[in-house]
Amino acid sequence: MASHDHDHDNEKKSAGEKKPVLLLAEFDSTAKIFHAAEKVRDAGFTRWDVHTPFPIHGMDGAMGLPDSRLGWIVAAMALTGFCSALGMIYYMNVVDYPLIIGGKPPWSIPSVAPVAFELTILFSAFGAVFGMFGINRLPRHHHPIFFSQRFERATDDRFFVSIEVDDPKYDEKKTRKLLEDAHATHIEVIEEEVV
Amino acid sequence: MSATSHKSEGKLEIDSNGPWSSAWKIAAAVGALGLAGVGAGFASDPKRLAFSYLFAFMAFLTLGIGTLFFVVIQHISAAHWSVGIRRTAEFFMGGIPALIVLFLPLFALMQHFPQWEHYGHASSHGATAQAGHGAQQAGHGEHGQQAGHGEQAGHGERPSLHELETRGLHNVHHQTLEKKKLWFDKTFFFIRQAIYLFVWGWLSWRFFKLSTGQDKSKDKKVTVAMARSAPWSIALLALTLTFASFDWLMALEPAWYSTIFGVTIFAGGLVAAMAALILTGLGLKKAGYIGDAVNIEHFHDMGKLMFGFNCFWAYVCFSQFFLIWYASIPEETVFYHARWNENPAWQPVTMSLAVLHFAIPFVFLMSRNVKRRMNLLALGAITLLVMHVVEYYWLVLPMFKAGAHGAQAAASHGAEAHHSLPVSWMDLVSLLAVGGVYLAMVFKLMTQHKLIPVSDPRLERSKHHSN
Repeated sequence: MASHDHDHDNEKKSAGEKKPVLLLAEFDSTAKIFHAAEKVRDAGFTRWDVHTPFPIHGMDGAMGLPDSRLGWIVAAMALTGFCSALGMIYYMNVVDYPLIIGGKPPWSIPSVAPVAFELTILFSAFGAVFGMFGINRLPRHHHPIFFSQRFERATDDRFFVSIEVDDPKYDEKKTRKLLEDAHATHIEVIEEEVV
Repeated sequence: MSATSHKSEGKLEIDSNGPWSSAWKIAAAVGALGLAGVGAGFASDPKRLAFSYLFAFMAFLTLGIGTLFFVVIQHISAAHWSVGIRRTAEFFMGGIPALIVLFLPLFALMQHFPQWEHYGHASSHGATAQAGHGAQQAGHGEHGQQAGHGEQAGHGERPSLHELETRGLHNVHHQTLEKKKLWFDKTFFFIRQAIYLFVWGWLSWRFFKLSTGQDKSKDKKVTVAMARSAPWSIALLALTLTFASFDWLMALEPAWYSTIFGVTIFAGGLVAAMAALILTGLGLKKAGYIGDAVNIEHFHDMGKLMFGFNCFWAYVCFSQFFLIWYASIPEETVFYHARWNENPAWQPVTMSLAVLHFAIPFVFLMSRNVKRRMNLLALGAITLLVMHVVEYYWLVLPMFKAGAHGAQAAASHGAEAHHSLPVSWMDLVSLLAVGGVYLAMVFKLMTQHKLIPVSDPRLERSKHHSN
């Protein structure tokens, strides 16, 4: 409980004042983190997250996450790729430099199909990767959660719930109580310098 | 762990007085009616009936083999998600013995198929080869660029382009047909058919017996035994289905071959199998059976497989078409020529396969929300099942040439004789006969066994599967 964050003492030189930004609660089992997530969800929090060393089945439901928007990004990119291929070949082989290949007319659908297919897949893959980065707001150089030394075990054998202080439902005492009731083994407030 | 709670157990055996208990009787009655029609067809026009029966039989055979394949891949991958629905697949697989009996009439009808018109009486194969392809080559000049294939560079009077083309084509056809002679040796042919039927019958019987036996014995070793049998079963299935499709479907155009043909048949069969499983599973659930052993998560996954294999089907079908279209070599294009230029009535059917079997279901079934809405998923499954039947009609019937027994017949009929679809009442009665008899056996098995593998060690995990 009485954990002091020495990590960012070094940075004190640049600016002075600190303010709390995150409430970090540590759990020691998947069952506990699962039920904690359900409690936080039911309490109506919106700006919070769960950090675990491995995916936990059903956590999306326990956190009340809606379906990912990624599919729509991928679909839009797929359609863009498909149309780009058609447009590109139409322009090149019909408008700009008509060329008869293999005795086929300049605009013949079967010969366009492989290119359209490949560009659809390529754009979809780009959409999936970069869309995922975008939705997760990556890449990101800094996050206050890494001020916590205990958080290093999120990649090993501990499970964490982090709730942002900005969350409209956040109340230092009540939120701490909620997490304690959910059998958190350790709770700490993470502070960050005001820039 | 899962947020959704599973409560309903559902009935695991067919009630003695529900609609599912008498389903097999209805199917059997339809089958009997169909068989009577098939008999009448055989009496009136055995050649036309041969094509109808082959079309209907192959549509259901590929579906049946598809369900067998589905069962085998569940064992090879030690899947737990599919345990509940696996029994439904096993019922369809268990009906394969009915298909084996339905296979037998094909032997009585085989003399009417083009490959046996050719190889059946080896002495006159030269003449029949010309008869079979003379009609297709009549009156089209768009293959002009292939005139060089003709080996007879004109001495003296220059032969016409069309003449060159025809002569060259016949040369190539003749060579191909000579090479295939060994494959169509009758003894070899019948040995092959015996192997196919034995493999299909034995595999379906074995997997059905093991799985249903486990219901009572509760022996976990059975699960291991089925997994051990799976790898070589897959190899046997791949080989037998490929060669059976060569023998009965590809050979309808005796001089034509495509190495990917067997894959297209396999892929299409698996799509139909997934569609049939989805519809049967939904039907059982609607009547209050199988409870949460098969729930929305399983239907979602089945929808994914149906969608995925439908893409695969389109992919291999297009690959086949694309290479042939690009190379545009006459002995290769005959397959598509018969379904496009030679008889334009087939053009809408060919297009319907591209649009209704692939494009529309592809867009429709892509969304997670559609696959998780049972009415919409059922609509997709019905569409794909109907298109599966259309695909077989498209594979078989263009090869039906009424009375094209000799060169003169082909010449006199010419192009204008083949400008409509050869639709006949025999197509319908054949579908009813094969479908009725096959489904009668499937539905009968349903009334005799548990509707899910109650003693499968993975059943509990399957119930809590989530996407």
